[in-house]
Amino acid sequence: MHISEGVLSGQVLAAGAVITIVGTTIGLKKIDYDQMVHVAILASAFFVASLIHVNIGPVSVHLILNGVVGLLLGLAAFPAILTALVLQSLFFQYGGLTALGVNAVIMALPAVLVHYLFLPMVGKSEKLTFIAGFFAGFFSIVFSCLLLGMALWFTDENFLKTCVAIISAHVPVMVIEGIITGFCVSFLLKVYPEILPTKHKVGK
Amino acid sequence: MKKILAFIVLVLMISSTSALAHKVIVFAWVEQGRIHVEGSFGSDRPAKNCEIKVTGPNKILVHKGITDAQGMYSFALPQILDSDLVIEMNAGPGHLGHWTIPKDELVAEPTPEAVEKKMAEKQSLEKKPSMSRIASGIALIFGVAFVVAWIKQKKKDGPNA
Repeated sequence: MHISEGVLSGQVLAAGAVITIVGTTIGLKKIDYDQMVHVAILASAFFVASLIHVNIGPVSVHLILNGVVGLLLGLAAFPAILTALVLQSLFFQYGGLTALGVNAVIMALPAVLVHYLFLPMVGKSEKLTFIAGFFAGFFSIVFSCLLLGMALWFTDENFLKTCVAIISAHVPVMVIEGIITGFCVSFLLKVYPEILPTKHKVGK
Repeated sequence: MKKILAFIVLVLMISSTSALAHKVIVFAWVEQGRIHVEGSFGSDRPAKNCEIKVTGPNKILVHKGITDAQGMYSFALPQILDSDLVIEMNAGPGHLGHWTIPKDELVAEPTPEAVEKKMAEKQSLEKKPSMSRIASGIALIFGVAFVVAWIKQKKKDGPNA
């Protein structure tokens, strides 16, 4: 999911950088002082998640965890994911430094989107909370794949062919991230409901 | 506090599996009149069936091929060797890796010591991220969060605080 150096055109890189700057600025304004520890923990989880590889048959893909980050942080996912991406690029050489803006958009925009789409379901019941978590994890990867396909399409490549290749390679990650996010949100609702930015709390 | 600790444990449980990375590594060296290319995503993770493009001066395509199941590909040295060669590996959508073989390495047959040195270089490229690097990254994230929190608190308190 991390686009390497020298793949994208200048216009795509510039557009990615502008969207990331806007998203990060809004995200930083939205973060409460009390929320900062959660942002740091989730940014750390995102930073480490890319080291976890899932081998299914001949395919090897890494976890992303942008679904859980987005569901819990909303717009604050932008600065959290950007910080983690900068460090992944510097420390692990994942993705190009010039492609940071585009990589941040590919992973943070779906995170914000799933927050607004699925957070209203969280806390209504245990079953719905798990389903919301699953959908957040699953669709954050679907949206990321589509954005990655779009970035490559605007540069050079065939959109449909590229998207099919990316999505088919990431189907295992979609399912795994869905399950992880579902369990994670369900667990947090039981042990630490204050972290969930929702009005509904099961049993409260 | 207990809840924050439980949350950290949960995050670490998710993140603790040992694994490898998707950085694209291309490595090439000259040996016995052939150029050997090896592609991987980190140690023991070969870049299988990836397209290899070799370009010369002015990005003119010199050679093309596909890596095997071990992420390896080799081809005979091109006949005209008057510039550096750039080897590009396409490891899937958005994933590109490059390696440049200087002209000097193309014209002179390398000594066993030079090949050994190249292999050591390859191994260092393929090394897994160390625990200290991971820990430093996490510490930096918390450092940045601390600075942002401090700035926010300062703004909240106002200039007279």
